[in-house]
Amino acid sequence: MRFLDWERSAPWVVGLSSVALLVLIWELAGLRGDIALTTVMPPPSQFLSMVIESDFRVGLGSQSATLDEALLATFGRVFTGMFLAFIAAIATGALISLSRFATWSLSPLLYVLAPIAPIAWIPTAIVVFGISNVTAVFIVFMGVYFILTIGTLAEIRRVPQEYLTISGNLGANHWQQWLYVVLPSILPGVFTLLRTNFIAAWMAVLVAEMVGLRDGLGAIIMMGRNLFNNELIMFGMLVIGISGFVVDRILAFIGNRVLWWKVK
Amino acid sequence: MNVVDQSSAVFRVENLSINFPAKRHSVASPLQGLNLTIHANQITTILGQSGCGKSTLLNALGGFVIGEDSGGVLYRQRYMNAPLEEIVMIFQENNLYPWLSVAGNVKFGLRFRNHEGVDVNNTVWHMLDSVGLSEAAGSFPHQLSGGMRQRTAIARALITRPKVLLLDEPFSALDISLKRRMHGLLRSLQEETGTSMVMVTHDVEEAITVGDRVLVLGGNPAQILVDADTSSNVMRDRYSTDYLRLQKQIEDVIY
Repeated sequence: MRFLDWERSAPWVVGLSSVALLVLIWELAGLRGDIALTTVMPPPSQFLSMVIESDFRVGLGSQSATLDEALLATFGRVFTGMFLAFIAAIATGALISLSRFATWSLSPLLYVLAPIAPIAWIPTAIVVFGISNVTAVFIVFMGVYFILTIGTLAEIRRVPQEYLTISGNLGANHWQQWLYVVLPSILPGVFTLLRTNFIAAWMAVLVAEMVGLRDGLGAIIMMGRNLFNNELIMFGMLVIGISGFVVDRILAFIGNRVLWWKVK
Repeated sequence: MNVVDQSSAVFRVENLSINFPAKRHSVASPLQGLNLTIHANQITTILGQSGCGKSTLLNALGGFVIGEDSGGVLYRQRYMNAPLEEIVMIFQENNLYPWLSVAGNVKFGLRFRNHEGVDVNNTVWHMLDSVGLSEAAGSFPHQLSGGMRQRTAIARALITRPKVLLLDEPFSALDISLKRRMHGLLRSLQEETGTSMVMVTHDVEEAITVGDRVLVLGGNPAQILVDADTSSNVMRDRYSTDYLRLQKQIEDVIY
């Protein structure tokens, strides 16, 4: 029993210990004021106390915002973009798998546009949508949609032929087969892809916030740079890292608990 | 004892030739000009070596592959050119949808059919009871043994009240004791429902003890090498002289 408990808690204990060790080394290095790096990378005790003193509000005057506002802005953009990309990728996959005309017309566009990095869309998006949430959502969408669509098509090809034969045999038409057999078959795989691509989406929105938008987690880092405030930069990086980790865990939880089945 | 009306043919295979489309040219299967009759209301088992065309024949009976213009499969006096709802197929694996429970998988059999006036939940429970899976109704396929998975697949097929059940090596992945239990279940379900069943298998014992009629397919082009009536209860006894004689005859032909 004790062995089983250790089995369950070991990843947490080891994981937290490694983080604690990193913070400890960081703090110890920060005690020596003569190292240039500690000026650029102030230890957590310094930048956290600075943020607590300012009541978790970053920025100056009318442009200042609270941490929760920044988090909400970034999460809103990432999740909206990812959700739209998820729906659009599945819809495109359905269209391509059900219609030869759609395959012929959409496939070349898909494979030409997929290699373009989401960051490359930022100038165009700012011109088209202005400096707004739509721009950030668009960047996230472009960063996820193509990879997810290509992955969706691969998942569709993996659906066992028996599943389709059985449903067809039981009276399902093509659309019913898609809805009741293909869709549930591909959902876990496509969701795993979405989770893997979350990092890309996360980075894309941060870059968009750093380059053009005035709020969000990316903007905190940009503000820190403009104010020569290394504490603010480090704080922004820490929040970005922790938020990304938490979201990844939430996505993993959804994948394991809601879309748990495996298609062999 | 199953009373078989030998005159009622459920399938007539007439001059059946199958060619598979390949990328540049079609590839011929061993089924070239095959003729055969399969009777209704009994279990017909088809034996043969790998690649002899028995699974292709089963797919042709199901309407999943269509013969060349010169011939084909007649189901109740009509040429088949597509799968029919009254003919249901069970495969060796991948029969169940992993996201549905046992009850959900069985219920799936009725999803696309008109079932006005039918108490669906009651029908599902009755069918689960027939195959001994009432207690596993809420379980998911990955939680089931191989035998339970195939029993679920059989329940889902039978809930649609098919006229014909086609089985493609359904028990090949099961161990011997489970296999024998499934043979008994299949025979009792056939007697209870009167469904015509055609089962493809590699296993000589399975073919004789389950089937009312055993067909051995072989040669290239394929032809029926053995056509034996195994409807007698003597054939259920694996130590009877008749059983052993037929087993030897079949093994001599196949191996």
